[in-house]
Amino acid sequence: MAAALAPRLDSVFGALADPTRRAIIDRLLAAGELSVGDVAAPFAISAQAISRHLQVLERAGLIERRIERQWRFVRVRADALEPVESWITRQKRHWTAALDRLEALAAAQTPKRRKS
Amino acid sequence: MSNADASETTLRLERLIPSPPEVLFALWTQPAQLVRWWAPEGYEAAVHDLDARPGGRWRVTMRRSDGGVVATSGVYRIVEPPRRLVFTWAWEDESGARGHETEVMVSFEATPGGTRVVLLQRRFESKQARDNHNVGWSACLDRQTKIVG
Repeated sequence: MAAALAPRLDSVFGALADPTRRAIIDRLLAAGELSVGDVAAPFAISAQAISRHLQVLERAGLIERRIERQWRFVRVRADALEPVESWITRQKRHWTAALDRLEALAAAQTPKRRKS
Repeated sequence: MSNADASETTLRLERLIPSPPEVLFALWTQPAQLVRWWAPEGYEAAVHDLDARPGGRWRVTMRRSDGGVVATSGVYRIVEPPRRLVFTWAWEDESGARGHETEVMVSFEATPGGTRVVLLQRRFESKQARDNHNVGWSACLDRQTKIVG
């Protein structure tokens, strides 16, 4: 397990060593999923440069792409930071998001009480 | 495993949810309900096993849009509708290898506004360590429930 992790760690740290790529990850963590154009919007660099950064992040296993008609979307992979995060941090994020979904679904299945 | 490192081996989350315990318990234990919230957005969940009784197995796969599949699976330990659910829990990676064994306790306590949900997850370094801790775990759960209540 540790041996398999080492190359992944190198590419994750390599990918995160760049401030622009860290900013992209921050943006995606906050937004969830963004189109490639929206990712690029706040950065004063070319679309090609953004595209290269996204490639590095994707190769490091930090982000994944989704194509819907002509749009390309990117988001942080659920297991992105696995090699560098503690178990508890990872699980906390997993369950927090899951409980958000559970709560939304439960609300839809709970009759609203009339306010007296 | 000593109590000193509990902060690194035990995760605790608490929520007040404005729905009754019965609705929430069903969302955790009925396959058709569970697949609707279990997987992150962009993943499609499928229940392969869900035998919600002590000793019963559960396994849920999550398929990414690029075709990659990960899964979570385990065995139910305690099933007390609609109050409490305890089950073992581990990630399976794309090769089917099972990660660290953990145990999850979810309790549903009716409150005037709905339900207080407490989720506790404990990590064990091995299956043996988990089995050795089962006795202590139940006592720990009771304590937690009291603290919460």
